[in-house]
Amino acid sequence: MHIPDAFIPLPQAALYWVIALLFIALSLRWARKELTEDRIPLVAVLAAGIFAIQAINIPIPWGTSGHMMGAALAAIVLGSPFAAVFILTLVLIVQGVLFGDGGLTVMGANILNMGVIGGFVGFYSYRGVYPLLRNIYPAAFIAGWLSLFITALVVAVEMAIAGTFPLELGLISMGLYHGVIGIIEGGITAAAVYLIHTARPDIISEPGRVAS
Amino acid sequence: MMNRKIFLFAGIAVALMIAAMAPFIASSNPDGLESAFLGIFGAKEIQGPTPDQEHSEAAEQEVTVITGNDFSFASPFPDYTIEGLAKYGEAASIIIGTLLVLAIALGLGRMVSRGE
Repeated sequence: MHIPDAFIPLPQAALYWVIALLFIALSLRWARKELTEDRIPLVAVLAAGIFAIQAINIPIPWGTSGHMMGAALAAIVLGSPFAAVFILTLVLIVQGVLFGDGGLTVMGANILNMGVIGGFVGFYSYRGVYPLLRNIYPAAFIAGWLSLFITALVVAVEMAIAGTFPLELGLISMGLYHGVIGIIEGGITAAAVYLIHTARPDIISEPGRVAS
Repeated sequence: MMNRKIFLFAGIAVALMIAAMAPFIASSNPDGLESAFLGIFGAKEIQGPTPDQEHSEAAEQEVTVITGNDFSFASPFPDYTIEGLAKYGEAASIIIGTLLVLAIALGLGRMVSRGE
């Protein structure tokens, strides 16, 4: 879901950068407060893993493919949506600057979409559905699916504002593809939460009640 | 419970394994956003198979005219490729990227937490 430069006019791209920078600043504040010496390696390994898994495009029907985003996973494992902003910003900078994956003028939009929206939707849907399911794995699946699907719809709206996609057709096609890609996101999120939770039960705390 | 060091090294090993495998198993189909774009610009049916090259290039020119954003930048490893190295080059570049993300996150994490 990396937006290339040509998809958004520069003034709008600049506005998305401003919003993204605000959240990046908040994520750095989160890092200063929450990143204790012993949690830094966990954050780094998660960031590296998310970068690697984003390189695997899995085929879906209709001549299309999709890859994991990882924002919900980061937010669930580290217990904050700002963790997703922190990690996805890092991943998107390396992807954009080194590999031309996602534009540079529109990187603010990509950080806003995949880091901020993906992270917040992932985190709060996980906290929201856990009390109903009482099981972290299906909660992680739903959080992963929703984080990707909602982000895709937001991108469709941004494309409509940019004049790139007509709103309705954009929502339908982005929703169709990412409804399926979301299954990949949810599945890998749940599998990764399972592996981490099995190896180190102390890392992921079960959310006892809905976030206040 | 798995020892902390082993857990972290296992994590790094999994990330590097995924990175090395990626170019060999990844699909080259356009991703969801690109596919939506190609469908909307007539280079592909929304629910149809892979797009055709000629129409894809025309679509890219068309969208640049609409947004007026013709910014382009020559990245050192465009699309994760290293010239002349085919799939192994892609694997190498994704491994380099993975290690770089790891190193930056470690460095930045140390810097930020020390700033307290």
